[in-house]
Amino acid sequence: MVKASRSKRHVAEVVGTLAPTVPSATFGSEPGNASHLLWVQALYELGQAVAGGGVPQKVHHDMLQHIVTGFGAQSGSIALHVDAEGSALELVAGTDLPPGVLGSRLPPAVGVFGHVLATGTALLINGDVAETNLPIRKTGRLDRSKQSTMCWPLRVNNRTIGAVAINRLPEQPRYTVADLDRGQVVTNLLALVVANHRMHVEREGRIHELSTLNEMMRRMNQQLEEAQDQLMQSEKLASIGQIAAGVAHEINNPIGYVLSNLGTLGSYLPRLFELCDAYIAAESAGEAAGEKLALARGIRERMKFDYVRTDTGALMAESMEGILRIKHIVQDLKNFSRGAVDEAWERIDLHDALDRMLNIARSEIKYKVKIETDYGNLPRVECQPSRLHQVFLNLLVNAAQAIAVSGTIRISTGHSPPDVWVCFEDTGCGIPADQLNRIFDPFFTTKEVGEGTGLGLSVSYAIVHRHGGRIDVESEVGKGSRFTVRLSVKRQMDYQSRLLPEAVDDGASKNVESASAD
Amino acid sequence: MVTTILIVDDEPNVLRSLERMCMNAMGEPALPSELKVFTFTDPGEALVYLRARNADLVISDFRMPAMDGATFLTHVKALRPDTARVILSACTDMPGIVRAINDAGIFRFVAKPWSDTDLRATIISVLDHRAMQLENRRLADELRAQKNVISRQQLELARLESETPGITHVRWTEDGGVLLEE
Repeated sequence: MVKASRSKRHVAEVVGTLAPTVPSATFGSEPGNASHLLWVQALYELGQAVAGGGVPQKVHHDMLQHIVTGFGAQSGSIALHVDAEGSALELVAGTDLPPGVLGSRLPPAVGVFGHVLATGTALLINGDVAETNLPIRKTGRLDRSKQSTMCWPLRVNNRTIGAVAINRLPEQPRYTVADLDRGQVVTNLLALVVANHRMHVEREGRIHELSTLNEMMRRMNQQLEEAQDQLMQSEKLASIGQIAAGVAHEINNPIGYVLSNLGTLGSYLPRLFELCDAYIAAESAGEAAGEKLALARGIRERMKFDYVRTDTGALMAESMEGILRIKHIVQDLKNFSRGAVDEAWERIDLHDALDRMLNIARSEIKYKVKIETDYGNLPRVECQPSRLHQVFLNLLVNAAQAIAVSGTIRISTGHSPPDVWVCFEDTGCGIPADQLNRIFDPFFTTKEVGEGTGLGLSVSYAIVHRHGGRIDVESEVGKGSRFTVRLSVKRQMDYQSRLLPEAVDDGASKNVESASAD
Repeated sequence: MVTTILIVDDEPNVLRSLERMCMNAMGEPALPSELKVFTFTDPGEALVYLRARNADLVISDFRMPAMDGATFLTHVKALRPDTARVILSACTDMPGIVRAINDAGIFRFVAKPWSDTDLRATIISVLDHRAMQLENRRLADELRAQKNVISRQQLELARLESETPGITHVRWTEDGGVLLEE
């Protein structure tokens, strides 16, 4: 709010050869007259041009021009303090300035402006400035001799923000004190406009800054999410690395015996064909048939035909079993390590996922751990499948590694609408109470250096969190631990997705039935 | 003479295929004419067998649930020092292998997946080596007996024991009876 301040005015008159006083053109003697009001309104509207995005320079110029015209002046200028500290002055508008002067800095405390700003009072000068006893230095740029000048300070909230001056040539009627007073009201309005404009510009600047910051934050957030995705992916592959030795063992055994069995079969076949040939020969031997048959019988003895006959069946069945085992492990591994960084959401059967992970982790598990399962009746759960697989595998392997010599892992599941839960309970070494709230911290590990990344649980936590779920843990040293994963059946929009519309799925979630293994 | 081979692996299909391979190789040149193959998924049971009977060769897997191969073969060595010991394993676990070599004194390490021809050659080589060692010892004992270092009785006892373990140990009951069962 601008306080209408009627500052004192200073009048310096030089008695002399000056034209008689004549009131200003537009401001008749009564301030209340219509044209006066219209003029003020027009000035006001000029000021409002700022809100419409007007360029400050133009606005100041238009307003100055309006004032100059309104006061019947010849020329005028506006100078404003550059900043709130209020020392430097900038010439922001002028009607007859030489090129390059607009926007230049005025030396402080000098000239008409300097005096007005220093004293805070309006100034009326009639006649040669040099002949007044005001402490004004002759600037030498403009010809001020014998002209009529009015200069008002622009004040907002008791603070001077600049000044405006208008001049009349000597030939024109001099300004009077009354003009000066009347002008004060106008200049108060001008001051208000300027102040508002400045605030507006400042506000625009701040808004721009804020929105730049916002954009930066959003980009950073996105980068962080991407980095987290990458981390999840590499953690997943690292977790495969952890169990790789076991998986290799799992595959090597079947390869070994299938290879061997094929070799053995390869040795059976020539013998069988030899036998067949002998019988075929006997068939067409005619009289020598008996002899040929005896030969055949001998071959049959030597090759242990009965043994070969029964063994071949077993050989084929065992080999088939082995090959299928390899096939399943490779398939589960492949499924596990696929999953684009930004995987699609699907509805899957959690028990199937658990079984696959049990399959992959078998070699890590089977030597010392007994697995018990207690599966409830679960609906399909909407999730990013390979991410959840990763969580299950991580919890499984952790449970197995907590068991030193022998123990049990019990996996139970249940449905408490709208959630489902999966619980991994082990009879391992347990987690000390003072470590319990650190286990999800990145890089926290109790393993030897190089044995693990310490990222498994923190990534699992992040994945479950992204699914809008939670992981809870209870543990007792010496007895074991229980990890419970809670998930909602339907996909939840998590915090980030709500903030960043780009992250939201662009369509309805897919109802893809996950492909069966075979 | 019958050659006894024990094979121990937690996976039944592996045992079947190894047994198969041995049975089919039997009678081939360089391999013993009569082979008896016994398979176990549990090393503990294999040790029970060895307490009662001797074996010429034991082939064992490394990674097994109840006890690992190195531990098992260390027991075998303690029980039957003359039995040849071979590890057959996919294991890349160096410390374990080193233990098998040093503590269990294995004769050979064969990697899985194995090749039948290599495995056969290994078995032949190992049995040959063992036979030679035993023969050397026998000859040395004979020599010692001749030089009266050990008595003929002791020599004979040693021979009987190696053929039928336990026969030279008599267990007496309190009333002067002999315990035949273990």
